[in-house]
Amino acid sequence: MTDPRFVRLEDVILDECFPELDLALRRGRHVDRNDAEWYALLTDGQEFLEPLYRRYGCELIQKSEGYFYLLPTNERLGRRQLSASEMMVGQALALLYLDPKAVEDGGLVTREQVLGHLAGVVGSEALVVALNPKRKRYDERVAAETVRSKVTDAIRRLGLLGFVEQLDEERLRLRPSLMRFAEPVRGSGSPEGELERLVAAGEIVLKEGRDEPDAGGEADEEPSTDDDEDDLPGGHRGAEDDDGDHRGAEDDASRAPE
Amino acid sequence: MPSADPSDDLSDDRARPRSDLQSEARTEPRSLIASLFRRGVALDLQTIDLCFLAALSLRADRTGAASFQEDELFDVFEQVAELGASTTAEPAKKRGSHVVRRLREQKLLVRVDGAGVLRAGEYALSRLASAVVGFFLEDEALTRESLTILSASLVSCLEAVAVAARSATTEDAWRHTVTAPLRVTLFDLVSGIERRQRGFDLQQEEFQRAIGALLAADWFGAVERCTALLETTSATLRELNEILLGHGPRLGELLHEVQELAASAARDDAELAAKSAAEHVDRVAAWGGARQRAWSDYHDWVHRYLRDVVRLDPSRTLVHRLREQLAGRGAKAYSLTVASAPPMKLLRPAHVEPPHVPVRRPKKERDVEPELTTPRDPDAALEASMRRALEEGATGLAAVTERATEGHELDDRFQTAGKVAQILPRLATVRAPRERVWTPAGDGLLVEEWPIEREETGS
Repeated sequence: MTDPRFVRLEDVILDECFPELDLALRRGRHVDRNDAEWYALLTDGQEFLEPLYRRYGCELIQKSEGYFYLLPTNERLGRRQLSASEMMVGQALALLYLDPKAVEDGGLVTREQVLGHLAGVVGSEALVVALNPKRKRYDERVAAETVRSKVTDAIRRLGLLGFVEQLDEERLRLRPSLMRFAEPVRGSGSPEGELERLVAAGEIVLKEGRDEPDAGGEADEEPSTDDDEDDLPGGHRGAEDDDGDHRGAEDDASRAPE
Repeated sequence: MPSADPSDDLSDDRARPRSDLQSEARTEPRSLIASLFRRGVALDLQTIDLCFLAALSLRADRTGAASFQEDELFDVFEQVAELGASTTAEPAKKRGSHVVRRLREQKLLVRVDGAGVLRAGEYALSRLASAVVGFFLEDEALTRESLTILSASLVSCLEAVAVAARSATTEDAWRHTVTAPLRVTLFDLVSGIERRQRGFDLQQEEFQRAIGALLAADWFGAVERCTALLETTSATLRELNEILLGHGPRLGELLHEVQELAASAARDDAELAAKSAAEHVDRVAAWGGARQRAWSDYHDWVHRYLRDVVRLDPSRTLVHRLREQLAGRGAKAYSLTVASAPPMKLLRPAHVEPPHVPVRRPKKERDVEPELTTPRDPDAALEASMRRALEEGATGLAAVTERATEGHELDDRFQTAGKVAQILPRLATVRAPRERVWTPAGDGLLVEEWPIEREETGS
């Protein structure tokens, strides 16, 4: 039997990768086998890290698909709910992950494929309505542009959370943590029962409807076209600075070791 | 490759031996590509052309014939044309003539009898045609057996070359026993491996498509077949890489020895050939590692997919439910919770600001004290210079003008000349005869001469 890599919490914390990994987890990053060093550190130090994060009001979750993430159970560390657009894009990406076609390319998809899949499943009209909740009338071209920009933005934010890996402007690699989006509809039981269980565990929050304004303030900013700005309430625009700061922090969180 | 539009000035390029072109390609790839552009190389093949070439190749294999008589050619074409549903009403013979002409123009079919118009021709497939047909007909992927044989042949060929290099003393011996085998035998063997590697790559691509298609057609039932396919390919790739890695060091060692022997004997040709062969062998050996790494990623991904997706969702209920959820027909809308710790606040060190000094504009004196200045009168200056000219003995308007305008620009002199004519009568007595002579007053200026009358001082 080989010697364990860590014998005390101090060893884990003194590991070279720990500070970056810790910051990333606290900012919502999902860590899987592709983040080789982080994943190895989490696997080897799991027994020490679980009690550590529990003291901060978080659970270090490991899923059978082979990924870790931090689930806050109270407000001590800070938490947010994914926005409507992030949820839609995340679910579409999860569907692509489950599609046999993904096997052909080893899990590589293009942004256009994601858009096509979303439009195919949700329907173009419904997609425009869902991603333009504050609008009462639409200019077809502007609405389509808004959809594209929101989807791109959602992909970028999901990339920062470790759900996908953006290889370049167009291509992205699907990661196993996308299965989190399918969690409530998994299992042989009724989806309602599963939803209740996940709500109780703090994994998800139920929403009234898709048109509900996004939680967390940062999600779903209107694109900066002139006519869009007319619809923005003054207070909403003021939140952009905070959002910008927050994104900067998330950028740091996305940096995984090679 | 053939040129669609040959021109006379390109005959040099075409006449050059292929070995020259290859050596140029290594040293000057840009010029070789530019030469291909100049020659306008192109291939334009339709399905009927390819099928005809394939039929000729198969017939040659079956009958052992190296060439075809014209009748045979058209006979084969008619059989091919019957298989394809033709949309034209053109007779097969006429279509055959067009196809043969097109293939001849593109150097895919060559006439080998040299009889010209004396009798009907005899044709054979060119090397280009054989390569094109080979791509479609031959399943030439790299296998354990073919790689073992080719690698062993490569090692024995190189050992023979090394032995020859050790004992070679004359230029002929170096050329025939070292350089030529390196350039021909070794090149062919390594190219053979490379060609099969490309075939294997193609097979891999098809294989990835096949796994996707198997899963799409028979979701859970395809798991075992997909796993078996994955394992077989992984094992093949591992074996191929092991063979390449096993022979690689020996090949490198032999080529290095030949290169050193050639260098010490000052045989540049042999040294260059050994160097080029070593690069070729390195490239072939690197293929195995690169493919195994790429395959390893794909292998892991598919395995994970089969384990986490297919096995856990045999009836595809998950996909159906997730689609319903995304389409808004699911139970309730929900949102995932993620950690979102605010970024750490890094406090800056305390810094005491110096007392604030308001910014003020310095007072500016608005009233300026008047200054005494001497007025400048350009006419007075001109008059003074004219007086000097008169005192120095100027005899007429031209001389005064020349002296007064000395050092001025031409335009300025032209203007000043008028003033000189105006002032001069005040300073001296001038005569203005009826006929006045145009006299040069310096460079580029002519004036009508007014002679100056001077008082006789002596009388």
